[in-house]
Amino acid sequence: MRASSSRLRRKTARSLSKHATLIVVSVLLGFPLLWMVLTSFKTNTQSLAVPVVWWPHPFKWSNYPEFLSAVPFYRYFLNTLLYAAVTIVGVCISSSLVAYGFSRIRWRGRDVLFQVMVSTLLIPFFATLIPLFVIYKDLHWVGWYLPLMIPTFLGSSVFSTFLLRQFFMTIPEALSDAARVDGANEFYIYSRIILPMAKPAIATVILFQFIYCWNDYIGPLIYINNQVWYPLSLGLYQVLGTYTTNWPWVMAAATAATAPIVVLFFFTQRTFIEGIAVQGTGVKG
Amino acid sequence: MQATTSLASPATVARTSPRGLSRKIRRRHTRVGLLFVSPWIIGFLAFFVYPFFATLYYSFTNFNGVQTAHVIGFTNYVNLFHDPLFKTSLFNTFYYTACELPLSTVVALSLALLLNMDVKGRAIYRTIFYIPSIVPTVASCLIFVWIFNPASGIVNDLLTGAHLPGPNWFFSIAWSKPSFILLGLWGLGQPMVIYLAGLQSVPREMYEVVNLDGAKPWQRLRYVTLPMLTPVILFNVILQLVLCIAYFTQAQVIENADVGGPGTSTWFYVQYLYQEAFEYLKFGYSSAMAFCLFVISALIMVALFKSSSRWVYYASEQQ
Repeated sequence: MRASSSRLRRKTARSLSKHATLIVVSVLLGFPLLWMVLTSFKTNTQSLAVPVVWWPHPFKWSNYPEFLSAVPFYRYFLNTLLYAAVTIVGVCISSSLVAYGFSRIRWRGRDVLFQVMVSTLLIPFFATLIPLFVIYKDLHWVGWYLPLMIPTFLGSSVFSTFLLRQFFMTIPEALSDAARVDGANEFYIYSRIILPMAKPAIATVILFQFIYCWNDYIGPLIYINNQVWYPLSLGLYQVLGTYTTNWPWVMAAATAATAPIVVLFFFTQRTFIEGIAVQGTGVKG
Repeated sequence: MQATTSLASPATVARTSPRGLSRKIRRRHTRVGLLFVSPWIIGFLAFFVYPFFATLYYSFTNFNGVQTAHVIGFTNYVNLFHDPLFKTSLFNTFYYTACELPLSTVVALSLALLLNMDVKGRAIYRTIFYIPSIVPTVASCLIFVWIFNPASGIVNDLLTGAHLPGPNWFFSIAWSKPSFILLGLWGLGQPMVIYLAGLQSVPREMYEVVNLDGAKPWQRLRYVTLPMLTPVILFNVILQLVLCIAYFTQAQVIENADVGGPGTSTWFYVQYLYQEAFEYLKFGYSSAMAFCLFVISALIMVALFKSSSRWVYYASEQQ
């Protein structure tokens, strides 16, 4: 009896210490976000008070409407959605076609070309940027999202292609064979058999592309120069430059840009985490 | 697409020897395969092959985007070599990479090890650990500049409470780079999740075997977990390295908004390239920088892959 109760006690103690470690790390990692939200409800004087006042008093909800009327944040939000929507269409079409060619048909040189594609991930964005900028300028595309949208229709999202290819390879070959025996051509098999089966993988691709666009700063910084077309990232940057004396507003802006994506993450966590884990499996092949 | 009707199945191709397959069918396969990947081939030629050679060409000219380019030989490269800001930005990028790469590996791996512990509510901790990575980069810059604000930031307030001197963080020459490194360590959700997947795929029997030998926890980590994880470590190191070499957004946001980055202490390579190209329109000069960037990252990648055969363990090779 005694031995078992002391074992139980030791087990509880170990479990408690594990939880304690996890909780401490959680607090450390979560604190910056908590502080962002708390600051966004403070008055300007309170946010600058020394020593620091932890809890907003009074709770100044009006930071949000005030700031939203000073900065066209809704517009930036809509611009970001437009950017995301078009590139999602581009990525879904081109990456699924390319992934199909790299996984469901056997042909000479396929695997070499695939490796070339994956290795382009290692090339820094800025190493190829200048000639592209010159071309887009000559085409009068600079100033709007075309330079960021068109490449997605030409398989620029290597990550999506990789992810879809990994998924396509798990679909049994017998399915395609059966269709081929019935006289279906490859495009028919791609569009009517493989794509409908790949819905979960496509959902992952859509999610990642959406988050990529929401986050993208470099692309818009280079190509979008008219404030009317700013996405959220550039809008936020502008807020930081303009209102550095009003930290509650800056934090309200940061909260407004962060909250939707965190909520989205909460609801799509599984898809999301699995999608990242698939990347890691690529190295073991 | 009509021509593809009634193809011999790829599965059959696998089973029969290449010789057994008629040349006509094989050629048809190649044609259809190429057709499917053609969007990427066009993209590759337009967005990689052409810009690569064009960058190389521009780097030998005085092109400024407006007037016609004149070939000026190696002048840009000679000037680069004598440019103190080029050296500073290269050094800063190297500094950042040399600190961030090992630190991010240790931190991401430690977080994954913590999440791999056998406790209730793991999913909740995983969510909390991951959330910083979902925060948009610009927003995370705003947050860090604010909590590390020297006058009224919470971090220095806590340090003062503990009777420690609070540095000027993003505003100080000595502390600005460490501040950026801390910012980088906050958002390691992606490598963490990849490490976690790697940890979960280590076969349980391997731990059982060393447990029979009475291995202590750190011995299990050193002799089982880490060797089994080396392919994943290599993968994550490459991902982080690409991010470090191209370090831009955070430095650009914090510096240009005038909320940190004193002098040239946080001038990073790509940032300097961006300024020369898009603020001063020195396309020739910045192309020389871009080509150097390409060469440097290619050299580092080659060195990393060469060294990997010595420290990366692929379980499948042993079988």
